Amino acid sequence: MSTLPSKKGIFTASVLQNRGLGDKFFRLSLELEKKANTLFSSASAGQFVEIDVSQLALPTEKLIPEKLWDSSQRNVLLRRPFSFADIDSSNDCTIVEILYCVLGPATLRMKTLKTGDAVNLIGPLGNGFAIPEDKKSVILVAGGMGAPPLIHLAKVLKKQHQDMTITAFVGAKTKNDLAFFDIKTDKLKKKTDITLQEFAKHNIKTCISTDDGSAGFKGFVTESLKNRLGENKPAGEETIIYACGPEAMLSATAVLSSEFRIPCQVSLERRMACGIGLCQSCAVKCRDKTSGTLYKLCCKDGPVFWSDEVVWE
Amino acid sequence: MKNKNIDLSVKLGSLKLINPLMTASGTCGYADELDDFMDINLLGGFITKSITLKSRLGNDVPRIVETDSGMLNAIGLANIGVEKFVQEKIPIIERYKTPFFVNIAGETIDEYVAVAEKLTQCKRIAGLELNISCPNVKKGGITFGTDPALVRQITGEVKKVVKDKLLIVKLTPNVTDISAIARAAVDCGADALSLINTFTAMVIDIETKRPVLANRTGGLSGPAIKPIAVYLVNKVYNEVAKSAGVPLVAGGGIRTASDAIEFIIAGATAVTIGTGSFVSPDCAVKIIEGIKKYCLRHSITAVAELTGSLK
Ligand SMILES: Cc1cc2nc3c(=O)[nH]c(=O)nc-3n(C[C@H](O)[C@H](O)[C@H](O)COP(=O)(O)OP(=O)(O)OC[C@H]3O[C@@H](n4cnc5c(N)ncnc54)[C@H](O)[C@@H]3O)c2cc1C
Ligand SMILES: Cc1cc2nc3c(=O)[nH]c(=O)nc-3n(C[C@H](O)[C@H](O)[C@H](O)COP(=O)(O)O)c2cc1C
Ligand code: FES
Repeated sequence: MSTLPSKKGIFTASVLQNRGLGDKFFRLSLELEKKANTLFSSASAGQFVEIDVSQLALPTEKLIPEKLWDSSQRNVLLRRPFSFADIDSSNDCTIVEILYCVLGPATLRMKTLKTGDAVNLIGPLGNGFAIPEDKKSVILVAGGMGAPPLIHLAKVLKKQHQDMTITAFVGAKTKNDLAFFDIKTDKLKKKTDITLQEFAKHNIKTCISTDDGSAGFKGFVTESLKNRLGENKPAGEETIIYACGPEAMLSATAVLSSEFRIPCQVSLERRMACGIGLCQSCAVKCRDKTSGTLYKLCCKDGPVFWSDEVVWE
Repeated sequence: MKNKNIDLSVKLGSLKLINPLMTASGTCGYADELDDFMDINLLGGFITKSITLKSRLGNDVPRIVETDSGMLNAIGLANIGVEKFVQEKIPIIERYKTPFFVNIAGETIDEYVAVAEKLTQCKRIAGLELNISCPNVKKGGITFGTDPALVRQITGEVKKVVKDKLLIVKLTPNVTDISAIARAAVDCGADALSLINTFTAMVIDIETKRPVLANRTGGLSGPAIKPIAVYLVNKVYNEVAKSAGVPLVAGGGIRTASDAIEFIIAGATAVTIGTGSFVSPDCAVKIIEGIKKYCLRHSITAVAELTGSLK
């Protein structure tokens, strides 16, 4: 996306809640200090924050999964990027929600955050999803850990663009990996037939896929999306796709976007040393009208890009 | 204690800096990227990302990986090239009072000279920092910085074209005797030396048995290298800089005022913040305050007195 660079700042936040959702997924609610209100009230879905966890202690040995023991012994120096899963800036205060998955030394330390603890963060960062005025129909494609910014986007769209039809395609390896969502199962239906409250409460039609068939369609989310697009052939001028998830899923979505001529925005992840455009570590290879390819910065020019500007490897 | 006036200014050759704090090349962007976090005018000096004759795309990703108390980077001197730098970034630089130093790099001596000539014409630039020490490009860069004969040649050639601009030569720690390189640069006209650049290093993903970085190797920076950097600064100060009267711009892992003061005691005139800015983009300002407090506590009236005060 190429909007003007937004203003950002460094703030302290206090933990309202840090709740486990399954064994490795967590929801963190942070209340930001008052002086962050102005900047965060205009923040958009798809933007992110960089959290400093270097001061946090590790959980006790018992609570460290064996798989993460070795990496847990590493010190954390750099901040870590996390997308907004929600921002609430009513009532003269800013509450930011983050959904995170425990994968390594930083997120393992975040597990220990308790109500009232202070954390330091930088934000709001990057450019969020752009919402063109002329679209009537929106397709969300969320893969694995890519759900948080799309949960946020769905809420924003429902609030600001009531007349848009939204369909969500959600994929994960297994049902357990859908833990960012509040899952409801209907006793009268099959165990694989579940609803995701974050979308259901906004009446967003949701198609779930899992690699192992433990919930919804068995297969990749992009296969399910392709089937649907093939049946419905939505009008490209009126429709837009927003996608976030593993890079392979995003590149498959980009292929569908060009095949069905539906514009598509993707939110990318890169290893980020700074998150604020200082270091150039987060390069994304993009097409350039004149000279072939160029690198854009995921943290500053992204993390949201048009799928057809990215050079997919 | 009374808040006495402490003189924080230091002299880099003919140039006076309001305080010893500078940005390290490649870690603070080209000019205005830190604006949201601090007032650039509060800095003693600003050193830009390396600039080359032609723009460079840089390396594939991953370009960085975190290590214990440090990080490896292999950005590959990605930059917009000198032409675009002059067009787009000089007007931004002109908004600030801070002295700006442009870090320059290249693959041949002619390239360094061409970039230097171009930048020498920009009034607002206070000096050039010669990057002969970047470990992440295939040609040039570090090969210059490890060979005293080449260091003489490149410093001499660039010195001829920079006229009244300050010429800083940036040293690599990836050598057997850093003082030999420092001496070569000083002999051929370096007005100041800056040290240290990153240590060549590698991180391996044991599952795939491949290096994590696309470039395979990268440069280690951050707190992990600080004690080695302090040692090398002291060594160059004692063996070369002090007797030659050439100031040192020093850094490597600085995050706090105490870190900065260590370097100054070891022999630094000015200090640079690199990796530290990624974690705390406003840390330079806090470090300046911390240095003031230290001076008060030790009844030091001018920070310049601290340089090389190691007992
Ligand atoms: C813009 C952006 C938004 C993000 N939003 C979220 C979010 O909302 N929720 C969430 O759980 N995570 C999110 N992430 C990912 C999150 O930042 C990482 O999971 C986190 O940094 C892991 O830190 P760690 O120290 O726990 O693990 P590490 O040991 O640093 O990483 C664990 C594993 O993930 C890999 N990895 C780490 N960071 C990246 C990366 N940026 N790209 C590719 N591979 C990586 C490592 O190689 C390692 O295998 C986001 C990343 C970006 C760039
Ligand atoms: C991401 C990154 C990019 C860098 N780019 C450059 C560069 O372009 N030119 C250069 O001379 N040094 C470059 N450096 C080296 C720093 O200027 C500095 O010498 C080094 O990182 C040690 O200091 P630190 O530990 O405070 O970061 C870079 C360092 C990092 C971490
Ligand atoms: S993470 Fe440093 S420039 Fe993007």
